[in-house]
Amino acid sequence: MATRRGVGLGAFANRTQASQFFANHGANLRSTHLSSLQTQLSVFQSLLHTFALEHSSTIKSNPTFRAEFARICNTIGVDPLAASNVKGKNARRGPGESGSIWTQIMGGDMNDFYFEVAVRVVELCRETRSENGGLLGVEECRKRVGKGKAIGSGLEVTDDDVLRAVKSLEPLGSGFSIVRVGSKQYIRSIPKELNTDQATVLEVIQISGYVSLSMLQLNLNWEKARAQTVIDDLLADGLVWLDAQGKEYEYWSPQNLLDDSG
Amino acid sequence: MTTQIKEEFQFPKTYSFPPFFTPQPNSNTRHSQLQKWSSLIQSYCRHYKLYRLNLIDAIETPLFHNAALKKRVSLPEAREILEFMVGDGRAEWVDSGKGVVWIWWRRPEEWAGLLVDWVESTGQKNVVLTVYELVDGEDSVSQEWHGMDTDVMMKSLNVLVKRGKAQVFGNEGQEGVKFF
Repeated sequence: MATRRGVGLGAFANRTQASQFFANHGANLRSTHLSSLQTQLSVFQSLLHTFALEHSSTIKSNPTFRAEFARICNTIGVDPLAASNVKGKNARRGPGESGSIWTQIMGGDMNDFYFEVAVRVVELCRETRSENGGLLGVEECRKRVGKGKAIGSGLEVTDDDVLRAVKSLEPLGSGFSIVRVGSKQYIRSIPKELNTDQATVLEVIQISGYVSLSMLQLNLNWEKARAQTVIDDLLADGLVWLDAQGKEYEYWSPQNLLDDSG
Repeated sequence: MTTQIKEEFQFPKTYSFPPFFTPQPNSNTRHSQLQKWSSLIQSYCRHYKLYRLNLIDAIETPLFHNAALKKRVSLPEAREILEFMVGDGRAEWVDSGKGVVWIWWRRPEEWAGLLVDWVESTGQKNVVLTVYELVDGEDSVSQEWHGMDTDVMMKSLNVLVKRGKAQVFGNEGQEGVKFF
């Protein structure tokens, strides 16, 4: 009936009918598609679940393995930490699926693990703020967290774990962030921007261990006033230490001081 | 100063950091520097069992003079570090001229606590001991205060006297003590 091409008034009715039919069919297709995707996702999640359960002890104890696992989660768009921190996200999932994927899999252990690392990182940043001006190398931080101060509390972590832990602090608006200077990553615990000149000088210090005014003038072709300003700023922020006992004033980065602080 | 023959003190990493020997212009950095000096001086003195430092002599020792780096702490700077420690209760000037200083890697109160524990655990309450016995006697060889500066021992005992936990008697040089 509907196949006959009408030309009269009936055509309007036919057209509405047809478009309704198509809309219905489209909705059907979408829902089958959706349910098949949902099935796929749940299959994948359950596989991930089984995998994580099977290897849970390895994930907990082996930092490299843990980082890889976290990477897989990230690739499929499951951010374990974001999922646990943003409660709203859980609302869209089915019942019984609330909580982050870490929590589901490891019974809260993994979340706790990252929060514990985060606590250490915050402690360390606060403790060393006066010595390094609030800029702490991720690598130094990892080593220090690995050593641990309290009895038997050394946590073996990777740089990745530290970065993840710092990221988990973001929702708190605590001002902890990661900055990259040259080839190194730093945790910045004092909200302050480095300008390009300051970053350049810190980069030079990474390579040569220290800088002096004449080094900056010679190698970067800076005028003396410019070099002096940058150095003064860095000194005022506590990001470099002064050695006045050489031929010329030398400015050193306190980054490798950390091992014995406290 | 008496330095016992003992294995070398392991200096911390800060000691190889050249700016450590220059007073830092930034006040936050300065504070952190002073704290590091304080803990270095305490562990150095603890290692060599030094109870007092003579400043003039001390600035020539490895503690304040890093020969490898060719860096040293000047006399005024050393004085400032020690003033900081005095403020922290970790040092005390022996004389008003501020030339010699006690380094309290354990404060007299802390020594007093150790003494009381030792006396109790060895059952020497109400026994009269001579100060010489306490410091140099065979019984205390294993204790941290063995060979201690007698003045420091007297200071520590006086803490206990004030608390009514000990009584000191006898002439100077041959005091006896009784713990309650």
